[in-house]
Amino acid sequence: MARKISYQQAINEALAQEMRRDSTVFIIGEDVAGGAGAPGEDDAWGGVLGVTKGLYHQFPGRVLDAPLSEIGYVGAAVGAATQGLRPVCELMFVDFAGCCLDQILNQAAKFRYMFGGKAVTPLVMRTMYGAGLRAAAQHSQMLTSLWTHIPGLKVVCPATPYDAKGLLIQAIRDNDPVIFCEHKLLYSMQGEVPEEVYTVPFGEANFVRDGDDITLVTYGRMVHVALEAANNLARQGIDCEVLDLRTTSPLDEDSILESVEKTGRLVVIDEANPRCSMATDISALVAQKAFAALKGPIEMVTAPHTPVPFSDALEDLYIPDAAKIEAAVRKVIEGTRSAA
Amino acid sequence: MPQPAPTVGIIANPASGRDLRRLTASAGLYSSTDKASAIQRLLAAFGATGVERVLMPTDMTGIAAAVLKACAGPNARQQHWPKLQLLDLPLTQTVADTRLATRRMVEAGVALIAVLGGDGTHKAVAAEAAGTPLLTLSTGTNNAFPELREATSAGLAGGLLACGRVPSSLGLRRNKRLLVEVPEQQLSEWALVEVAVSPQRFIGARALSHSDDLVEVFACFAEPHAIGLSALLGLWNPVSRQAQHGAWVRLNPGAEQALLAPVAPGLVQGCGITASGILNPGEPHRLSLACGTLALDGEREIEFAACDTPTITLDTCGPLTVDVEAVLAHAARHHLLAVPRGHRLHPATPC
Amino acid sequence: MSTHLSPEQLLHAYEVMRTIRVFEERLHVEFATGEIPGFVHLYAGEEASAAGVMAHLRHSDCIASNHRGHGHCIAKGVDVYGMMAEIYGKKTGVCGGKGGSMHIADLEKGMLGANGIVGAGAPLVAGAALAAKIKGTDDVAIVFFGDGGSNEGAVFEAMNLASVMNLPCIFVAENNGYAEATASNWSVACDHIADRAAGFGMPGVTIDGFDYFAVHEAAGAAIERARSGQGPSLIEVKLSRYYGHFEGDAQTYRAPDEVKNLREQRDCLMQFRNKTTRAGLLSPEQLDAIDARVADLIEDAVVRAKAAPKPQPADLLSDVYVSYP
Repeated sequence: MARKISYQQAINEALAQEMRRDSTVFIIGEDVAGGAGAPGEDDAWGGVLGVTKGLYHQFPGRVLDAPLSEIGYVGAAVGAATQGLRPVCELMFVDFAGCCLDQILNQAAKFRYMFGGKAVTPLVMRTMYGAGLRAAAQHSQMLTSLWTHIPGLKVVCPATPYDAKGLLIQAIRDNDPVIFCEHKLLYSMQGEVPEEVYTVPFGEANFVRDGDDITLVTYGRMVHVALEAANNLARQGIDCEVLDLRTTSPLDEDSILESVEKTGRLVVIDEANPRCSMATDISALVAQKAFAALKGPIEMVTAPHTPVPFSDALEDLYIPDAAKIEAAVRKVIEGTRSAA
Repeated sequence: MPQPAPTVGIIANPASGRDLRRLTASAGLYSSTDKASAIQRLLAAFGATGVERVLMPTDMTGIAAAVLKACAGPNARQQHWPKLQLLDLPLTQTVADTRLATRRMVEAGVALIAVLGGDGTHKAVAAEAAGTPLLTLSTGTNNAFPELREATSAGLAGGLLACGRVPSSLGLRRNKRLLVEVPEQQLSEWALVEVAVSPQRFIGARALSHSDDLVEVFACFAEPHAIGLSALLGLWNPVSRQAQHGAWVRLNPGAEQALLAPVAPGLVQGCGITASGILNPGEPHRLSLACGTLALDGEREIEFAACDTPTITLDTCGPLTVDVEAVLAHAARHHLLAVPRGHRLHPATPC
Repeated sequence: MSTHLSPEQLLHAYEVMRTIRVFEERLHVEFATGEIPGFVHLYAGEEASAAGVMAHLRHSDCIASNHRGHGHCIAKGVDVYGMMAEIYGKKTGVCGGKGGSMHIADLEKGMLGANGIVGAGAPLVAGAALAAKIKGTDDVAIVFFGDGGSNEGAVFEAMNLASVMNLPCIFVAENNGYAEATASNWSVACDHIADRAAGFGMPGVTIDGFDYFAVHEAAGAAIERARSGQGPSLIEVKLSRYYGHFEGDAQTYRAPDEVKNLREQRDCLMQFRNKTTRAGLLSPEQLDAIDARVADLIEDAVVRAKAAPKPQPADLLSDVYVSYP
């Protein structure tokens, strides 16, 4: 039985192990140490939620606090990546991408193609996403589909401490720019994580629950909500297969199609807004490539087409929950009972 | 006795204060905002001393615009600033702008021209000013000709002199200058402080701030308390501004003795000295170097080759400048700035 | 700051400037025929800046350029044949025809790309400078941007970062007087772009960009400063572009004889030739020989670019990622 650590500790461990292994890895971001130039402690924060805590002293000169200037330091990370280093830059909240999008969208993502295959930009941008902390519209959103839309980027959304460590090590070793999305509500989640170094490959979805009646495709924190729904539905005799995508770019199309071929039913769950989302993308994929296997319409459970609200009364409504997933599953099952 | 209401010209060089010495030494920056503020200080002093009208050229960097805006403000009204008249001249953003503005001011019969700039700016104004006196204000950290002085008090002196309230014989002084001639290039230029001979072959980034780049320095005056090449001479062989002669020094890094001198702001260098002497008016001096550059008042301006025979000659007919200390000392002795009750600037007079 | 250049260095400087000039003037002619696709922004007139700065650099020093990038590429040593083919959209181009005029790059030569996004190169070179610092080399990184770019937040953030981290980074503002069709006198709020350096705690100087020796000397001082760990600086190079913002720009916003006067009175190549020959350092024959060689080179580059094959359909999908399952 492996030891249990939190999602946050798993990320910290992945960073520490890769920095130890590879001297070209360094961390840059706002308060990734915290306390630069201030009279008190160095490494005062270790990241706004403490994810990088302790690395500053372990790796002198390689955990760099940046001024609050996302264009400047994210761009610098991109530039350093072209010069043989492996920067892990932290965009504190993914919402701040509004400030520095050019450096990701037009620079990092396009270098390899624009420069005729000659550029290598091994950048990891770690960033926090997701609703549930009452952090309101500018500190809670998901931009996974935005990143996934951009050719040249890889997009990772680990759902468990095990995956967080393995996918982050893979991301750091990867030679393309990777957007590594961490859900802030998952940081405290405990899970089994081997102490040794390991990687989880990109583009390989995880069948986190096998089932025959219906396929639930999701990623990130929604994996756990989908599992909760699946467990509830199991008591009602509905056997759900739950697929954790792990990475949305590359996307494991084969596993999605394989599962739908088996169950003939699909509910896609996405914490993001519904339009042009992973939910619509996966629905379109299945409609195109596995239409014949479908016994009835696809359902999507997503956030509404609104910004993330502040008040708990509204935010709880905004976030997809198990009840909504169960309702969607029942709707699909009932609509296709005759076909079953 | 009342004098005819005089007009004063103001010229601020928008380009001064940005040369290479910011990189090679620790020279400071004098922004256009600072220049516009200094002009406003001058205007307050001119207004208080009775100057009625000020002429100023336009520029591309917002100096004139900022002054114009300030002239419409409450300070201008309360302190009775002179009326500002902008000279709308074609701008080339080169030294030609300064020279043209000076000519126009002289034609307009200004009583004096206040100059904000460095040695180079003053040189350009002096070349066109004829007999019009200059109120010199340094806007840089590396100037020897204009003094580093607060603009308000300098403006009081300039205003008193422009309004005829201090005799010219007391408030103005005649400066020396150096004539640089290169007949092969039909060149004839004036320097106000010094001419340095450098083995550097090209004008390049203009500023000279290394002793290695110096072979000879000729100076009109050499003050030990100055900065730059004239200070180098001043610390070896000082010559006052009033003296009838100048000085020269020959340098070589291999010399037995080296003089530590502040050759640029923040740069004290050992300068090997091999010979020095006096420069008498009217005696042309040939150079010891066959080819190189001539720096006039700190900036390389002339490239000369083996085919050229430059000469340097001291002359005592340089520009007239306001002696701020003498004027204000005279003003103090005679209480020239005292105003009776009822004067527009008397504190008891309602605004 | 001694800047005594050997005859070899002088000849190289002239060859670089001459190559840029002829390359750009030829593109001006060829673009008018309709054979060159897309947007082309010519650097002619500004050659002294690229040549003067790049004379101090080695391959391991990194530069980032902008949309007006041909001159920087040539001066940094990017292959002229590959550049010409790239601009014609050919498979043999330095970027395989996938980048074009605005994205010419050659990382092995330390050329981190021309850039279609104004100001975007500044954070990138701050990163390259950071990489040099982390690796412990004495390499420097330089970004070229224009008066338009000097107003971009990306440049401000990069200058702040470079200063805070004391990076070996140099910001070269090529002020050609116009951001597209808007005068820098209007669009740049401060009086000189060099003055912005003070706000970021670094020195700033303004230099005559028509004079190779002025640029060379100032860049040398800034680069030496950066290499020796004294941090970033800003050089404002005042110059002019001889053509429009892009090819096809009628330039009605410019004064009628502006370019003609500059070409006749201040042209960097003319000045260089006059100064070096008068000083007896180079002979007119030596310079004429370079002119002839450059003319042949560009002619050959155009002929080869026109004859080169276009990319294949399969090239559409390659080079997006290093690996993608």
